[in-house]
Amino acid sequence: MDYKNVLTTCVYCGCGCGLYLEVLDGRVIGVWPAKTHEITDGKLCIKGWNIDGFIYHEDRLKTPLIRKDGHLVEASWDEALSLVAEKLGTIKAESGPDSIAFLSSAKGTNEENYLLQKLSRAVIGTNNVDHCARL
Amino acid sequence: MAVEEFEPRIVAFMCNWCTYAGADNAGVARLESPANILPIRVMCSGRISPELVLRTFREGADGVLVMGCHLGDCHYSSGNHRTIKRIPLLKSLLGFAGINPERLQLEWVSAAEGPRFTQVTKAFVERVRTLGPLSEEVAA
Amino acid sequence: MNEQPVPSIIEAIRQTVAERLQELDGVVGLRRSSEGVAPHVFQQGDDLSELEIVPRYPLTTVVSRLHKSFPEIRLGIVARGCDERAFVEMAKRNQIDPDRLFILGIACTAEEAEECHCAAPFPKHLVVGKPVAPGSPNPVVAEYDNTPLAKRNAFWRRQFAKCIKCYGCRNICPECFCEDCAMEDPAWVEPGLLAPPFPVFHLIRAMHMASRCVACRQCDLTCPAHIPLTVLYDLMRRDMEATLGYIPGEDIKAPPPLSVTLNEAPLLVNTGHMD
Repeated sequence: MDYKNVLTTCVYCGCGCGLYLEVLDGRVIGVWPAKTHEITDGKLCIKGWNIDGFIYHEDRLKTPLIRKDGHLVEASWDEALSLVAEKLGTIKAESGPDSIAFLSSAKGTNEENYLLQKLSRAVIGTNNVDHCARL
Repeated sequence: MAVEEFEPRIVAFMCNWCTYAGADNAGVARLESPANILPIRVMCSGRISPELVLRTFREGADGVLVMGCHLGDCHYSSGNHRTIKRIPLLKSLLGFAGINPERLQLEWVSAAEGPRFTQVTKAFVERVRTLGPLSEEVAA
Repeated sequence: MNEQPVPSIIEAIRQTVAERLQELDGVVGLRRSSEGVAPHVFQQGDDLSELEIVPRYPLTTVVSRLHKSFPEIRLGIVARGCDERAFVEMAKRNQIDPDRLFILGIACTAEEAEECHCAAPFPKHLVVGKPVAPGSPNPVVAEYDNTPLAKRNAFWRRQFAKCIKCYGCRNICPECFCEDCAMEDPAWVEPGLLAPPFPVFHLIRAMHMASRCVACRQCDLTCPAHIPLTVLYDLMRRDMEATLGYIPGEDIKAPPPLSVTLNEAPLLVNTGHMD
């Protein structure tokens, strides 16, 4: 029997509350707020309390999906990324870089956000970068 | 200038075997019961959960009556044993939260007690009338 | 003169756990790591210098989960008074098997007893530490009978207006185990309202705590809005004791009074409906 509590950071917003994922034999079974964490002080909001809700959710995507003939079909990462690169290139050539916008997420890390705005500005050539909170 | 009198909205949960029959008894005998009462028939007063009463207040009841069989007469032998413990506790809790506990009342009314049914309901309506609308105690 | 150094409380607890681990599958307690302090199941061979006793977590919840996942497992728990009371109430409701849990009781300090306004800051199965006097009662609770209805109303309306409906109070409660929680049921609590409707949301919980709350204060500590929930639950407990002679956590043989007949759990006072 392997029981442990793994400290991690909530992914849902910029607060970055500390919480423990309660893991029993390799499976997450619950959440505890981190009482010694400076930010959390042993408290969580409803999103933090339910952070484990998506891990094993049946609707969670496990592979990229590409729409073919009106249906979403499982695809490989290579296939999906190649398609995205090709399409973005086409749109940029036909309609200009400012016809594309990039919307980032609080669930992403600072590093991921940095990369996305680099992709937007340096690769595509547009300043149309914003964040999910503005939707 | 006539001031509109406050007409309390009362929900009365009545157990099928005793109180509902008692209310029927009152009706058949042409005894007048107040129109403020919204009767809801349940199989036993013991099924009245605190959340049901609380939601009833939330939905706009100014007063809630829970009525069932006298002790010893319960059709399910001891359903009303739970009622007699839960409802007074819920009354206390309402009082602790700052809501007048007199808005919730427990009464035993048997199938033969038609006159008692009208007396209890009339008295309760008048009592709640003096307490005023519940919205004044819970409005945000 | 050579004197044996008196082990500190924490050393004594670690020593006790080490000894008991020889006959148990695990002992539930708190473990300190570089990340912080969290619930843990100590097993034979674990480094017991990492065992801590603060900050408090509801360890009986861990026991309950493990008892259900492993029907044969025999566990110990480093338990304060409230943990032992929580265990008693959970055992009555078939959430913990009392034959497979061994209480390694520790006493709270006087400061801890005062912080919790605790009436019984030590377990019956006390193994380490000396019982301290109960903490002084919460002044709000002590003065409650003299507080007029309108003032109580204003107080709770203001408090509950802060509620962000995080369900932290329910999630952290050592007594809450229902898979279908009434507080989440749209039949009773309208979804989508913040603050949740007064007083339905909070009074459902308070009623459900009536025969369960063991005054561990975890809900108070976990509420991000600092709502003094246990003021209400303390008042309910006082009522339960006065009308039914029931104190949650006191007697493992006493059935939960609101679920059983008057023969099994009689009323001590005449509520006016005894006919």
